[in-house]
Amino acid sequence: MGEATPAVAERGPLAADRAVRASARAGRPRGRRWRATRTAYLFLAPGLLLFALFRVYPLIEGLRLSFTNARLGRLTSAWVGGANYARLLEDTRFHVSLANTFFYTAASTVPILAIPLVLALALNRGRLRTLLRSAFFFPFTLSVVTVGLTWLWLLDPVVGPFNYYLRSLGVPARSWLADPTTAMWAIIGTTVWWVTGYYLVIYLAGLQDIPRDLYEAAAIDGASAWRSFWAITLPLLRPVLLFVFVTHIIGSFQIFGQVYVLTLGGPGDATRSVVQHLYETAFQNFFQFGLASAMAWVLFAIILAFSLLQFRLLRGHTEF
Amino acid sequence: MLRAAVSPAARRIDVHGVLLTASLLVLAVLWLAPALWVLVTSLKPTPDIVRVPPEWVPWPATAEHYHEVLLGSSRTARIGRAFLNSTIVSIGTVLVVVLTSAMAAYPLARIRFPGRNIVFAVIVGSLMVPNAVLLVPQYVLTQQLGWLSTYQGLIVPEAAATFAFGVFLLRQFFVTMPGELEDAARIDGANAWQVFTRIVLPLSQPVLAALSIFTFRSAWNDFLWPLIAVNRPEMFPLPVALALLRGAYSSESYGPIMAGAALSALPLLIVFLVANRRIVEGVRLSGLKG
Repeated sequence: MGEATPAVAERGPLAADRAVRASARAGRPRGRRWRATRTAYLFLAPGLLLFALFRVYPLIEGLRLSFTNARLGRLTSAWVGGANYARLLEDTRFHVSLANTFFYTAASTVPILAIPLVLALALNRGRLRTLLRSAFFFPFTLSVVTVGLTWLWLLDPVVGPFNYYLRSLGVPARSWLADPTTAMWAIIGTTVWWVTGYYLVIYLAGLQDIPRDLYEAAAIDGASAWRSFWAITLPLLRPVLLFVFVTHIIGSFQIFGQVYVLTLGGPGDATRSVVQHLYETAFQNFFQFGLASAMAWVLFAIILAFSLLQFRLLRGHTEF
Repeated sequence: MLRAAVSPAARRIDVHGVLLTASLLVLAVLWLAPALWVLVTSLKPTPDIVRVPPEWVPWPATAEHYHEVLLGSSRTARIGRAFLNSTIVSIGTVLVVVLTSAMAAYPLARIRFPGRNIVFAVIVGSLMVPNAVLLVPQYVLTQQLGWLSTYQGLIVPEAAATFAFGVFLLRQFFVTMPGELEDAARIDGANAWQVFTRIVLPLSQPVLAALSIFTFRSAWNDFLWPLIAVNRPEMFPLPVALALLRGAYSSESYGPIMAGAALSALPLLIVFLVANRRIVEGVRLSGLKG
């Protein structure tokens, strides 16, 4: 969550750059330039080492593993070509987990994009903004396990308060997490509760960056609040919406913790997700690292394709 | 007062505003109710926990569940230790991330050198790589290093995962810093390291604090990596210990589980109350510069 951040616009040449260039021209150019380069890479060294070893290398190594029959404890693994990917084509549990993950992503997108937006618009109008923002943000400070345990207890079919209050409203009690038709919705609801505050803060910041006088001008021209929302708020919020959308999609395709705590993928395989399937394939079910790596790369390809598609669809030309 | 001059129409809008705020307050209370329910449950004696209708005041209150998860039987003795583990791992991760990403962001923002744009592009581009994709190879690497079930095996991969975001955030800040102080220090004979530690870092305290909180939160709450990278119970961090606590009890004994959940929420609740603005600023920065 919150780690994915789309590409950044490069700033123009910096004052410091100009200074360095100017002094390079003035002094002995070669020596100065070489010293600056050496200094730069000495500063970069610890971070780049960390980054290369634990980010870049695993990415490439994962791709290589996906073409081998690697397992835990097997020192030598053989090249098997596309056999792992071919197996995935026949692995029905993988298909089920993919379908579930797609369903979760699709079904959660509207509530997770819209609920924080509606709240942000309301908070932006009313008072006590800081207090209210804090209240909605609080669940996001909790770990996915704490959030999962909270809702596990609330949704308890026998003694949980959720069913009690529903029953007092005339809605019959049910085992939300044990019923295949409702289990995924319970997971979606739990996730909405968890992440709404995070997106709310982002939307609020985006709303506050929209110049006030635009609304005043629109009001003078007789535009309704509704018209202002469509003509000013939504277009100017587009970069923020794009960020929320991309972040949410990347996060959703990797859903794991909520499922692990609330249902363990059940009932049956009704809530089994791709990452859960990957986790079990790699770390519980004969430690099939090659097969799990192939799953990881299929997932990566899907996420990448969706992110690029979103950038295409939503980028537009509304810079301000 | 000005109010007297306000037209009836404007006053009606004000009524709307009050109604809006009031309904948002009600919604906020409902929003926090699940978290409150965890706290209430953790303070009730076991027979009261499952009593229907739900009672929102835990009276008589008891600390027995906290006593049990922190000091009690062997199956739950892990929570106290897990708290210590999470603290060590989270603070360690913050230190590594802040140090490495500040050192990397500084030349990327302030020094012109060959390869700068490529290095920055690769680091920022890595933000698009999902963590789940790296899970298996990272496990293999950690195992080869002999780091499974160790603090460094949790700290270093966790720090590597947040490093790119840190570079992105800090570079953004360093770029906008005025250069005069650095120039003055350089004229006084300070070398690059002295400029960095004595001028740049002290001026960056707000953004360093925001990055620290962001990193602490993700390290404290991370679940999937420690779930696979730790197989000795005494090395479990809190989320893993809590998830297993659920399995250790029958589903009816929510008391100890909820006590563990409340304990795990405590440090970030304190940070949240003390540095609310800083957290919000961190989230804002993480989102808006995209």
